[in-house]
Amino acid sequence: MNTGAALAPLSRLPGGRASPGRRVLLTALAPFLGLLVVIALFYAIPPHPWVSLLDLQTVAVHTVIVGIAAMGMTFIIISGGIDLSVGSAIALTSVAVALALKQGWGVPAAVVVALGTGALCGFYNSVLITLLRLPPFIATLGTLGFYRGLAKWISGSMPVSAPAQGLGLWVRPAPVQEWLPLAPAVWLMLALGVFLAAVLRYTILGRYTFAIGSNEATARLCGIRVPRMKVYIYVLAGLLTGLAGLMQFARLTQGDPTVAIGVELDVIAAVVIGGGSLSGGQGSMLGTLAGAFLMAFLRNRCTVLGWPNFVQEMIVGHIIIIAVAIDQWRARRVER
Amino acid sequence: MRVWMATCLLLCAVWGCRQQQPPTSGSGATASGEPAATAPAKLKIAVIPKGTSHDFWKSVHAGAVKAARELGNVEVIFRGPEREDDREQQVSVVQNFISSRVDAIVLAPLDDTALLPAVQQATAAKIPVVIIDSGLTGTVGQDFISFAATDNYKGGQLGAQRLGEVLGGQGRVLLLRYQEGSASTVERERGFIEKLAEAPGISLVDPKRHAGPTRATAQEAAENLLTAHSDVQGVFCPNESSTFGMLLALRSRGLAGKVRFVGFDASAGLVEALGQGELDGLVVQNPMHMGYTGVKTAADYLAGKPVPPLQDTGVVLVTKETMGQPEYQELLFPDLTKYP
Repeated sequence: MNTGAALAPLSRLPGGRASPGRRVLLTALAPFLGLLVVIALFYAIPPHPWVSLLDLQTVAVHTVIVGIAAMGMTFIIISGGIDLSVGSAIALTSVAVALALKQGWGVPAAVVVALGTGALCGFYNSVLITLLRLPPFIATLGTLGFYRGLAKWISGSMPVSAPAQGLGLWVRPAPVQEWLPLAPAVWLMLALGVFLAAVLRYTILGRYTFAIGSNEATARLCGIRVPRMKVYIYVLAGLLTGLAGLMQFARLTQGDPTVAIGVELDVIAAVVIGGGSLSGGQGSMLGTLAGAFLMAFLRNRCTVLGWPNFVQEMIVGHIIIIAVAIDQWRARRVER
Repeated sequence: MRVWMATCLLLCAVWGCRQQQPPTSGSGATASGEPAATAPAKLKIAVIPKGTSHDFWKSVHAGAVKAARELGNVEVIFRGPEREDDREQQVSVVQNFISSRVDAIVLAPLDDTALLPAVQQATAAKIPVVIIDSGLTGTVGQDFISFAATDNYKGGQLGAQRLGEVLGGQGRVLLLRYQEGSASTVERERGFIEKLAEAPGISLVDPKRHAGPTRATAQEAAENLLTAHSDVQGVFCPNESSTFGMLLALRSRGLAGKVRFVGFDASAGLVEALGQGELDGLVVQNPMHMGYTGVKTAADYLAGKPVPPLQDTGVVLVTKETMGQPEYQELLFPDLTKYP
């Protein structure tokens, strides 16, 4: 896996800094190194609870929802935007999927419903941002409430139970097929991760995303149709959010309008831990996945060690702080 | 370089946490005087409440620790979601305990369907599950080994009976429901409604409004309800947070003590209100016994003993007049410090 690829376009774009290849590689690998350090640390704590295969399978499944949504958020954050409505959109999608399945629709139809709902959410966000020229923070703060309310409305404010039709097996930590080491949803997430990392590096969409985030005015002067690109970016992120909503339904086998409150913060944290910068122009797809995995792993270890929730919250909080602090410190050193 | 920096900082953070490792993780539960060495491999039993912020679950925890102390060879790990409507987090906690191979799980499910897949995964992994407090749609004996809970239907009936008494069999009674999908409170509401229907002079006002997960959401819902139905003479709420929220709403409108009010569950604030006559009765469960029964049942099962599929952990009505009696004092003021 050539993870160094993800950040490479930076050096070729206006506003990007030229960096030696080794440093770029280190930057991209940093989240994985951090991950290894944390795993080693937790193993060092007596009574040395092993990280078993089942542990990894479980943590991988717990990564899926935040991970998939965070890949879309990576595009948005690289472009200099933000999306606070992710958690609400996940809840809305999970309810829409549940309602569709309850109507007797099949799994393919449910997938279409999920992607469609997510894409519509993303499209609405982008319309608010480009047409009304609202700052993304404000636009998505508004839709955070709107999508949540919509989810409660169409569900009658109560969880909608529906036949899972095998969707539950996608997110079962120990897969039924014993030759599969990880759950199908995890494979889907990993495949998407590699695919989207390639999109970010090799396609016009990916390179324009970096360009807009690095310096929007320059990007516009270079002839990039910034509003249209933003619509693409938010719709792409919406598709991924829809997929995350489908996974959320699969986890609970019900559409729950109150699920995923605050998940947007986990999603943003995953991107930031993975090397994303909230001022735009920086971020890596695989780093984001490592960030999402790191948070799920911490939850798992804190449970295994019998620590209460507050310990985990304090640790995750500081991991975000440390990750960003190191990043800033390194950026200053590069500038010098 | 950066890695080292991160290592040091993390080490500090993690080490700091270990230093103050809280009592929840383990009872260290050897019976007094018994050397720990006699029990080399302690049974790890995970107790997963619906939330960690309500007093109710602190009593469940105390009961679990009490059982662990009596049994001697059991370690209790107590962990749950922070918010009482976070089904997703509770599923994750169950799965994390499965992957860490605890010996048994005692679970108070937040939802009767959403938690079923996780419980089935535990059973498939040969980890027995005892369900406490709230029902699960699975089959006892197949998906889980035992169900130990309050007879919630009876609890609702007790509340209706008391309201009928204090109203003298006449009046309009408002019901603030707790939360959809929570099997235990739905049962209480059903018991309440069906018992109340037996009194011909009392009419039920049931706008099917739900209090939501916290005292704050309950307070807001209660304030709205009292505005819309200002002509009620009696009120019933089916759990601690809804009762407390309603109490706050009644107080802010100067109705506390004037409207007849029966609530459910005991917490310090509610017991105080009962003593002041703001509440005409509290239907009280025995959460400590629930936690105790859950852990005891799991340990019995692991020891190969037969376990009963259904267990009633008790429910009583406490009023201002009866609250001084010693058997109720223990329910209203459980000594949690004895079982940290």
